[in-house]
Amino acid sequence: MSSVKIPIPVEDKDGDNRWMSIHNKFLLEGREKDADVIFIGDSIVQALQHTDVWNDMFVPLHCLNFGIHRDRIENVLWRVQNGELDNVKPKVIVLHVGTNNYDNSSEEIKDGIIGIVEAIREKHPNVYLVLPTLLPRGQYPNPLRKKLLTVNELLKSQLESYPKLELVPIDRGFIQPDGTISHHDMHDYLLLTNTGSKKAFEPVYEIILQLLQEDEPEKDLTPSE
Amino acid sequence: MPGELERKFGGLLEKKWTSVIRLQKKVMELESKLNEAEKEFIEGAPTRNNRKPAEWIPRPPEKFCLPGHRAPVTRVIFHPVFSLMVSASEDATMRVWDFETGEYERPLKGHTDPIQDIAFDTTGKLLVSCSSDMSIKLWDFQQSFECIRTMLGHDHSVSSVAFMPAGDFVVSCSRDKTIKMWEVSTGYCVRTYTGHREWVRMVRPSSDGLLLASCSTDQSIRIWGVASKECRNELRAHDHVVECIAWAPDLATNAINEAAGADNKKGAHMGPFLASGSRDKTIRVWDVGAGIALFVLMGHDNWVRGIVFHPGGKYLISASDDKTLRIWDLRNKRCMKTLDAHKHFCTSVDFHKSQPYVISGSVDQTVKVWECR
Repeated sequence: MSSVKIPIPVEDKDGDNRWMSIHNKFLLEGREKDADVIFIGDSIVQALQHTDVWNDMFVPLHCLNFGIHRDRIENVLWRVQNGELDNVKPKVIVLHVGTNNYDNSSEEIKDGIIGIVEAIREKHPNVYLVLPTLLPRGQYPNPLRKKLLTVNELLKSQLESYPKLELVPIDRGFIQPDGTISHHDMHDYLLLTNTGSKKAFEPVYEIILQLLQEDEPEKDLTPSE
Repeated sequence: MPGELERKFGGLLEKKWTSVIRLQKKVMELESKLNEAEKEFIEGAPTRNNRKPAEWIPRPPEKFCLPGHRAPVTRVIFHPVFSLMVSASEDATMRVWDFETGEYERPLKGHTDPIQDIAFDTTGKLLVSCSSDMSIKLWDFQQSFECIRTMLGHDHSVSSVAFMPAGDFVVSCSRDKTIKMWEVSTGYCVRTYTGHREWVRMVRPSSDGLLLASCSTDQSIRIWGVASKECRNELRAHDHVVECIAWAPDLATNAINEAAGADNKKGAHMGPFLASGSRDKTIRVWDVGAGIALFVLMGHDNWVRGIVFHPGGKYLISASDDKTLRIWDLRNKRCMKTLDAHKHFCTSVDFHKSQPYVISGSVDQTVKVWECR
């Protein structure tokens, strides 16, 4: 079994126990706020909440953001299994994780993501899962980019027929014709800027909106009388 | 260097030419905007000079935008006597403000978790607050401004409180699915009302003190006999969490009857009437006596979080997560005005009983005072 399947909390290397504090804050937020949509995952998810897209588009949908910077698959799996999705009743859960598992193979990353999907499914059998694909990273072409691209392809072939799950391709349009990624899209060649997050997460927003409106009665747009 | 000069100044005239037009266009845009604002300010309110309390409604821009809270504002209420208002927040504090001057008067500190609801008794001498810390606190609002009693008994966060009209009891409701009544003089819990299947969001007594209305995450509204503790009625029509409720004043009877299509002379609907706001984005008005839904107000694009009747009875004001306040003309069941009130969800709204002011609170951590014209 590869390490991504074994849930572990992040080791407190800095000695300030921040990771566990953040986890506890998420537990509290889950209990207090009635979120319809929960984002859970890594740096990409965490950085999203500081963008205009988050404030203008996602916040009105009643979202919670359970993203932690530098989290790996096994860390997110640990958080899922240790309460972060226990006292909540979301309609949609958005999962983005894997970009920090740079030392795992693409097969392992794919298996790890599916492992989390299954763990979430066990707790929320009817929730809609939205998986934005992994984003390319690094200013110039590099092996890691290739690996993440392979993960996306593997996920696509394996999750296509998975019930109540939407795989949303968000990785297009970042690599320019000369193979570089612009700092206008990712300021540190990993995390999204306002422009970059608009590009990547607008399609995610569209999907979530559709899913949320699915069970709402259709609005009668014809004027009465 | 003639070539260089040409490069430097080439096209300059064209640029100037287009910029004049661009600026002219901008000027025109701003002027029309100014005109609109002026119209809104002066003529938009035709009754400004001889405004009648029954007709006045809040109009933009706000009179004051008051920052200070360090977390979302959960509730705003007017003091029944003085020109004061109180805001409660998730930062576990309350703040007392003068709504005429916009001055911050004092904080009220004691809770340890988000405060969910606050209420005054009719004299304004006592304030009651409830919190996610599972406690209810009574505050002396005459001299000391200190917490004089803490009432414990709920098993989960307390979502709403209100004084009974006589001021001798307080009712509260909680995420523990119960409603409780507390004696003000002793602090004892004297009654518990059970029946809701989920988190009870808000509780409000009727003006005669004989009935309680409550709304819940279980999507129902329940009407309770205060003395008998029995659930008289369960009102169902919302298809999402019911966030807030408000009893209609007697003055609203005519407007509500007309809206419901009833013949006034026959007095088809006797009431009492209740309005409710829900996460299904609608506001509903109910005839509690008959136990039926009368009509729906649709227009908000997100959860409805707060509602209050206009003291004149003709209008209803609502606050919503779509960041707006809306003024509803009850008689015509129509939204007659929308105020883009806050930068984030509007959580609460209150209307002064006799003076031309409305206040609103928001997740953007501010409290706003709106003047009515």
